[in-house]
Amino acid sequence: MTAGRHRWRQQWWAWSLMAVVVATALWLSIDTTPRTGVDDSRRYAIATQLKCLQCVGESVAASQSPLAVQFREEIDAQMRQGRTDDEILAFFSQRYGQEVLLSPPSSGLGSLVWIVPVVAVAAAGLGLASTFGRWRREVGARSTEDDRELVARALRHRDAPGDDGPGGESADRTGS
Amino acid sequence: MNRALGLAGLLVSFGGCVIGIGVLVAGLRRGRPHLLRLALPYALVVLAGSVLSTIAMQRALFMRDYTVEFVFDHGSSATPVLFNVATMWSALEGSILLWGLILAGFTVAVAVKFRSRLEDPLVAWAMVTMFAVGIFFTGLMLTAANPFRGVVPPVGYDGPGPNPLLQNHILMAFHPPMLYLGYVGFTVPFAFAVAALATGRIGEGWLVETRRWTLLAWGFLTAGIVLGAWWSYEVLGWGGYWKWDPVENASFLPWLTGTAYLHSVMVQERRGMLRVWNLSLLCATFALTILGTFLTRSGVVESVHAFSSGSVGPILLGFFAVVVVVSVGLIGWRADELRSPGRIDSPVSREGAFLANNVLFAAFAFVVLLGTVFPLIVEALNGERLSVGVPFFSRMTMPIGFALLTLMAVAPVLPWRKGTGEVLRDRLWWPAWGGVATLLFALAVGATGPTVLLAFGLAGFAAGSAIRQLVLATRRQGWRGFVGRANGGMVVHLGTILIAVAFAASTSYIRTAEVTLAPGATATVAGHEFTYLGSRTVERSNRVEVITDVRVDGGQVFEPRLNRYRMGGMTLGTPSVRVGPTHDVYLSVSSSPDPVTGEVTIRVIIQPLVVWLWVGGIVMFVGTLLSLFPGRRRDPLAPASAPVPAASGETVA
Repeated sequence: MTAGRHRWRQQWWAWSLMAVVVATALWLSIDTTPRTGVDDSRRYAIATQLKCLQCVGESVAASQSPLAVQFREEIDAQMRQGRTDDEILAFFSQRYGQEVLLSPPSSGLGSLVWIVPVVAVAAAGLGLASTFGRWRREVGARSTEDDRELVARALRHRDAPGDDGPGGESADRTGS
Repeated sequence: MNRALGLAGLLVSFGGCVIGIGVLVAGLRRGRPHLLRLALPYALVVLAGSVLSTIAMQRALFMRDYTVEFVFDHGSSATPVLFNVATMWSALEGSILLWGLILAGFTVAVAVKFRSRLEDPLVAWAMVTMFAVGIFFTGLMLTAANPFRGVVPPVGYDGPGPNPLLQNHILMAFHPPMLYLGYVGFTVPFAFAVAALATGRIGEGWLVETRRWTLLAWGFLTAGIVLGAWWSYEVLGWGGYWKWDPVENASFLPWLTGTAYLHSVMVQERRGMLRVWNLSLLCATFALTILGTFLTRSGVVESVHAFSSGSVGPILLGFFAVVVVVSVGLIGWRADELRSPGRIDSPVSREGAFLANNVLFAAFAFVVLLGTVFPLIVEALNGERLSVGVPFFSRMTMPIGFALLTLMAVAPVLPWRKGTGEVLRDRLWWPAWGGVATLLFALAVGATGPTVLLAFGLAGFAAGSAIRQLVLATRRQGWRGFVGRANGGMVVHLGTILIAVAFAASTSYIRTAEVTLAPGATATVAGHEFTYLGSRTVERSNRVEVITDVRVDGGQVFEPRLNRYRMGGMTLGTPSVRVGPTHDVYLSVSSSPDPVTGEVTIRVIIQPLVVWLWVGGIVMFVGTLLSLFPGRRRDPLAPASAPVPAASGETVA
């Protein structure tokens, strides 16, 4: 498990090859079939965005209540008219109010539910980054000759490698 | 008789808790060790009371004693035996009774486990906290949620039985107790956290004492959540198992903070850092179990799983507030001593990865909590009604899930203190190719969509890392390479990865269709043939079943049913599922056959990899059990946590 035996793992081209394979595979997986017309999976996708107003916490896709069935028929009718997904959702929210959309709105007070978590995570990330920055700048306690002697003595007594978690590898055996 | 027994049991429990606290506090203040040793007898008294009231309730349910209001409301002579037992936790009062019983059990377990150290103030304070929580729950049952309230039944009365949804599947007998074992189990580490703060022994001792308790509670909570998802899948009839419903979220929130804690606690054990953070996570986990109970038991949010009942809500909310205030107050009081010496040398290190893990889990919990309560907040502020549902949670939690998978791939190979690019490249080589292979395999079997494929690739990468660690560990230690926290943790990771893959695949590649068939007719959906053979009616003690016989692919006959419950006239569909390793075929019916044409409408749902969700859940639970075994002893010379007062005189805020 030493770095020397697997020198090619350290080569940039080996990892670039991997990146190219991944990128190609992801590119090949893009589904280009257009999403138009009446189609079961398209109806399902739209219906999962709509709340069944008669039910307790179910979407129009899940519910078997008469209203949900009626909604699904309406989706079919709209799909036949060639409307896009967004147009169909807008139709429902105009008729039944914002509540029918399971996605909260992107404007007004409701948009906070989207914005606040993003801001909070960004703030946490920045806070962590600045803490690490401060830790790096601060000079830690300097080790004295006695400290170094203590460590050296401890290391001489140490016969088994330390368990630093799963696998129990320690950094000093594998490089750096 | 049953009422009297039950109430007597509750009073014994309540009294045991109150006197127990009095005796322990007196012993602590006056320094009388013999008083502290009484914690075990009082815990046994509390348990005896709880057992007595539980027996009284079960006896009342069994005897159909309708003078007990709970049985009057939820019992029925038609309920089958197993569901009759489970009726206890099918409604509010009985579920609090179960909670109290489990809490009493944990209180005794702690007292027995620490019986030789009951004189230790740390253990004594922990027992005080356990008793205090016990006072709350028994007090709740003596007041707002009394399971033994009396009623005078009319002559010849027979009750309605539990909510039909809850007697439709056998998993209902196991899912709630499992979940409660998890919820209540977190009381133990919380009690020790309070004790550590109260005694000022905020070093790492209490963490090590409660490590297994926390893991066990977490394992039960995990199992409870997975069983709940399984129940939804088998009962609700739309092929789903998780829909970010408020009640599901309520169980998921403590799981998220508890998971964060299980990871960050390792930083504290090793480096003595993150003390305030870990205490906050533990207190938050316990507080969230109470908040979850409030959300689901007060009727403020609508949900299939919720039972609403008037005055319990404000009391639970009040208790939640007390828990938060006490936790924040205690942590603030000890703030100076909690300041930890030392610092993290590099973000590219094991402790850096744990920190990132915590940011992600905290963000996850925040998103789930905000999404759950947001409609309430908006409606309170400006009266606007809006919904926060699956699309919101999917979009917001997906990036977090991706980041967590990535972290799960990288973190296990990172060394403590400081990792280098060279080490990472060396150790991640095979796991990364594992990810690439998974991605290519998924592409080869026809998976589409770069997002889902990326999820599969990252899952393969993470699985590669976990397997690499297990292989290295078993090479060195033989079978012991599977036990211990680190190795068992890798097994848990594998279970999580299975669930992530199954979740991504089943939600992305779901196919649904509704077909209307006359008897003998056949329809084809997504390459499967469905032949409708006919319907028949079966009478059961508590319901009438209309069974639709459907032959799938010319082979086995599946029987989606409609169950009409005699009491209340509620009709529920019970789906029938053909489980397979690659995909499930799920059939449900929503109405009886047309009386004229004999046609029936069958809903067909085809979802890939669903079975791996349950397998993943089992793997996670087994991994948790493996983690409970003591692992290899750490090298005593390996750097452990720094001493409490900063020896070097250096302090970092």
